[in-house]
Amino acid sequence: MNGLGKEVTIVMIEDDEGHARLIEKNIRRAGVHNEVVPFTNGTEALDFVLGKDRSGLASAGRFLLILLDLNLPDMSGIDILQKIKTNTHTKRLPVVILTTTDDEREIQRCYDLGANVYITKPVEYESFAHAIRQLGLFFSVIQIPETQ
Amino acid sequence: MPISNAAFVRSTIILLIAGMIALLGIVGTSLLLGSKVQAYFAELIEIRATRSAAADLLSTLKDAETGQRGFVITGEAGFRAPYDDALKAVSERQKSLAEKAARFPEYAARIPTIDRLIADKLGELADTVTAIQEGRSSDAVAQVKTDRGRILMDQLRDQLGNIMDDADRRLQEGVVDMLWSAGALRWTTIIGAIAIIGVMGGAATVVAQYTRDIVVARREVETLNATLERRVDERTEELIRANQEVQRFAYIVTHDLRAPLVNIMGFTSELQASLSSIQNYVLADGKAPSEADILEARRAASEDLPEAIGFIRSSTKKMDGLINAILKISRDGRRELRIERVDLKALVEGGAAAVNHQVSESDGEVTIDGNLPTVISDRLSLEQVFGNLFDNAIKYQSPGRPLRVSVSARNGGRAGFVIEFTDNGRGIAPEDHERVFELFRRSGTQDKPGEGIGLAHVRSLMRNLGGDIVIRSELGQGATFVLRLPPDLSKVVRSMQA
Repeated sequence: MNGLGKEVTIVMIEDDEGHARLIEKNIRRAGVHNEVVPFTNGTEALDFVLGKDRSGLASAGRFLLILLDLNLPDMSGIDILQKIKTNTHTKRLPVVILTTTDDEREIQRCYDLGANVYITKPVEYESFAHAIRQLGLFFSVIQIPETQ
Repeated sequence: MPISNAAFVRSTIILLIAGMIALLGIVGTSLLLGSKVQAYFAELIEIRATRSAAADLLSTLKDAETGQRGFVITGEAGFRAPYDDALKAVSERQKSLAEKAARFPEYAARIPTIDRLIADKLGELADTVTAIQEGRSSDAVAQVKTDRGRILMDQLRDQLGNIMDDADRRLQEGVVDMLWSAGALRWTTIIGAIAIIGVMGGAATVVAQYTRDIVVARREVETLNATLERRVDERTEELIRANQEVQRFAYIVTHDLRAPLVNIMGFTSELQASLSSIQNYVLADGKAPSEADILEARRAASEDLPEAIGFIRSSTKKMDGLINAILKISRDGRRELRIERVDLKALVEGGAAAVNHQVSESDGEVTIDGNLPTVISDRLSLEQVFGNLFDNAIKYQSPGRPLRVSVSARNGGRAGFVIEFTDNGRGIAPEDHERVFELFRRSGTQDKPGEGIGLAHVRSLMRNLGGDIVIRSELGQGATFVLRLPPDLSKVVRSMQA
């Protein structure tokens, strides 16, 4: 999977080790062999995605797919989503929300903030594979690379 | 205290009756005195008439005597005229006097004597006049000289004079009596007027008092209504807050319990996947397993199976821990509060002493304000609250900055005491201010061990004590926990039960 010829990096923000392992296994089973960068808390993940200064310049020209757990120990996944989706450099990055609840208001909120896919855990292999492939398509069709 | 309806009716009726009695008394007395005055007046008229009748009679008799004297001296008929006129009038006058005196027994008693004296006098007069007419003037003079006529006249003058004097005296007395009655009547009227004014004043006072009481009562009802609405609002707000908390709690609990469950389900299916590859190898039934089967089975046995079991075990352990934490909070919430006097200053000093070692290790300092109040509350809860706050202050101190903790208090009026617990630690970002009080939620860099229970526990303890806790903080600027605590928990408990 790549975005306009550039390799896509999958950023997995998930505090639960077990979940992270299961997600990775499923990604691999879906035939996706891109690099997966795991983070177990929001602060480090934001450091990576938006940079230490939170300017987002770090991600300019990068192709990232973000898998985001809403339930993190140090900050709310919603806050992370908002920060990513309001930053000019990162707002077009596809974000997959992974969470254990199927609370309708929360789903709505995530889509309002710009989430691309919302998946309820436990992740079904089929649906997950489907979503990832769709996003791969997404990437190549919709992503307009930044000129940098 | 407002007068009751019954008391109002009773006092009003009493006043009305008193007023009526006073009026009746005045009317009765006035009538009595009026009729008395009338009676006096009628008597006075009669006395006056009697007196004038007596006076008339006397003067008529004097006229008769004067005429007789003139006739005796002169012998001329012209001088006899007064005698003749008087003689004609005398019986008339006598009858008039008798009539008028008849009403007064003491006068009536004198009438016979007077009649007899008049008869004698008239007889003497007639004798002399006859003697003169017959030319016996010496007889007539002799007759006069006997002095009998003068004596009779003196007696008559005495008798009639007595009547007149007595009548004068009675008139005098009558006037005095009448004046007295008139005076009494005036006084009765004045007293009655005072009584009526009194009754009216009393009635007006009672009505005014009653009206004032009604106004006061209505104002009280209004105030009660107003506070009732406010209290209902407060309760509703509390209920809404409690409801939201329960929902939030349920959300967190189900969410957090679901996370390990997802692991268990996921790794159970992983187990199943590994199992099939092992089965392919073990249950080959004589057929030699392929190279790929052998490799897969070996990987399953050496990597996948232990990994899956490891995750399943840690997940069940995590679930157990979560359930225990929830139970602990639930138990604390149900613990019977022991309400007693708690000296907050001593309590906070005790909490500071417990962490003294860690504080001095980092060159830190704890300042406790002298004005920390004494409250009526649950000691154990407050010890846990301040214990947790001190632990947090030490745990999340800013590296390279000596720890400074200060505890101060002020009276927040209706809100109760407001206690501020300030540290100079790493602080909490504003978006996490509510989050830190939620169960299993933490904030900032996760570089310290912890389960995210402490502040949730503190908040639930404070709310159990009728208070609350909020935070004021900026990231990296230290934090101030603002605790609100009612001065008397027993009152809070009572008003909750009310």
